[in-house]
Amino acid sequence: MLPNRSRTSVLVFLLPPLLLYGAAVLFPILQSLFLSFFSWNGISEMEFVGLANYIRMFVGDDIFWRAFLNALIYLAICLVLQLGGALAVASLLTSLRRGRELIKTLYLLPAVISTVAIAFLFVRIYSLEPVGLLNQLLHWIGLGSLERPWLSDVNTVLAAVSAPEGWRFTGLYMLIIYAALLAVPKELEEAAVLDGASRWTLFSKIRFPYIRPVWITTTIMATTYGLRGFDIPYLMTNGGPGQSSELLTTYMYKTAFTSTDFGYASTISVFIVIECLAAVGLILFLLKRKADA
Amino acid sequence: MITQAAPPAQPPAVVPPTPAVRRRKRRPDLFRTLSRVLITLIVIVQVYPLAWQFLTSLRSEHDFATGDPFALPSSLTWENYARAFETGDLGRNILNSFVVTMGANVLIVLLGMMAAYAIQVLGFRLSKLVRGLFLIGIIVPVQIALVPLFIDYSQVNLLDTYQSMIIPLAGFSLPMSVYLFSSFYEYIPKETYEAASLDGAGPYRIFGLITLPLSVNTVVTVVLVNSIFIWNDFIFANTFVLSEDLKTIPLGLQNYIGAMGKVDWTATFAAVCVTITPLLLVFLVLNKAMIQGLESGATKG
Repeated sequence: MLPNRSRTSVLVFLLPPLLLYGAAVLFPILQSLFLSFFSWNGISEMEFVGLANYIRMFVGDDIFWRAFLNALIYLAICLVLQLGGALAVASLLTSLRRGRELIKTLYLLPAVISTVAIAFLFVRIYSLEPVGLLNQLLHWIGLGSLERPWLSDVNTVLAAVSAPEGWRFTGLYMLIIYAALLAVPKELEEAAVLDGASRWTLFSKIRFPYIRPVWITTTIMATTYGLRGFDIPYLMTNGGPGQSSELLTTYMYKTAFTSTDFGYASTISVFIVIECLAAVGLILFLLKRKADA
Repeated sequence: MITQAAPPAQPPAVVPPTPAVRRRKRRPDLFRTLSRVLITLIVIVQVYPLAWQFLTSLRSEHDFATGDPFALPSSLTWENYARAFETGDLGRNILNSFVVTMGANVLIVLLGMMAAYAIQVLGFRLSKLVRGLFLIGIIVPVQIALVPLFIDYSQVNLLDTYQSMIIPLAGFSLPMSVYLFSSFYEYIPKETYEAASLDGAGPYRIFGLITLPLSVNTVVTVVLVNSIFIWNDFIFANTFVLSEDLKTIPLGLQNYIGAMGKVDWTATFAAVCVTITPLLLVFLVLNKAMIQGLESGATKG
């Protein structure tokens, strides 16, 4: 585009970024793919095993399937909290007259705090002995029968480690959706109100279709972030008790750095990448198609 | 600097509403009260845990172990902060986090600008392909790089260094930075460049004299957005760093989990409060710029 540019000048500007990006992102992806066909503990000779790792993963590994299912539930909880919460709060916020900026700031606050701090905090919130915030609250509102050690109960632990992740980023998605809602032309809404549209019609027929492109972006963001969730489950329960809060990412991490099974860990990594790409493809397919219909 | 189309804080309701209008507004008022209550509740859920963490850091240990968790502290004490500083090397952790955040940000900004300049301004045949390559880094989870980088680092002796954290943190943040800079460069009119070219300026001078100075606002956005993630990074630091001297804040906080998982909670919360303060202050001071950055990051990326 620029008339005086030369081939060298393009390379001078392009090579350094590509070098860093290649070394940190692209090359490791290829390396994982390569390693997934080997058996290697990092010390002894690497051994080519063909598809054995993949066969083991799909056919012979119950923990893998458990972790996969858990990761999907984890994702579902995060999506409901983040996107549902974000859309609800953003819609409510547009009806407020003042204090919007303050609420945006407060709401975003948890996103600034490190996952380690959040893990500490939620361990205390869920604790039973001494009684933590959640159990105390249940006691007060007369639901004392629900009191339990949320993190050691196999039935609740997965939800308990998902909620903090959802809680943490709701503010971020709310901001994005709120900005999109503000951009909906006021004339459109007013015209609809004059025609006697109810709040729900207003939302479903005018506002939501208008913010659909942003909604697709946020859904993709939340999904890819949900699928890479790791810190909070790893720190709070390390996948336990048993495998009840094991996610694919924590399982991969433990396979790599506790069992030092680099080959099999890479196989799981490859699966996680494919899962993310498939999820993005699926979202685009579903949401775009609906838009065309 | 920030020209956000912010809603007016005060509605310009100078004209008293006529009776007819007022009647129609009565129902929405009920709705408005309801949404106010709901929002207040949600904000409490978001903020109270953090306030509680701070209050706990000021309680005595005995008070914390025995009392009702919602109660206000019976007396305030700074003892926990003293113990927090004794147990861990908080100053060191903060310094390390600072070094890593700065290092990664310099790379992200500089390289992001260069790539965007090459793609958007200079232009070349395969620029679409390069854009696509950068898209991969936004979708793919960071965990994929852990095993390969761990192996590569051990071969070139990079394990347990600042670089071992900076390289992947910068690499995975680079795509967003490239997209933000290119979408900004789209708006710099072509005539500006053409005029400079006619005056004999080559691509390097144009970058230094025109593109770079114009990018300042985008730089602020990119730095603010990335700093949240880099400052709080746990996974790369946890995988690549072993020595106490290099531990960043998230790793340092883990030192408070004692043997057998026994935790000195009040001191831990004191440490948490100390370590979240720097980023929290930046956030509270610059929250408008940061909020705007997060919004644009998503809608353009």
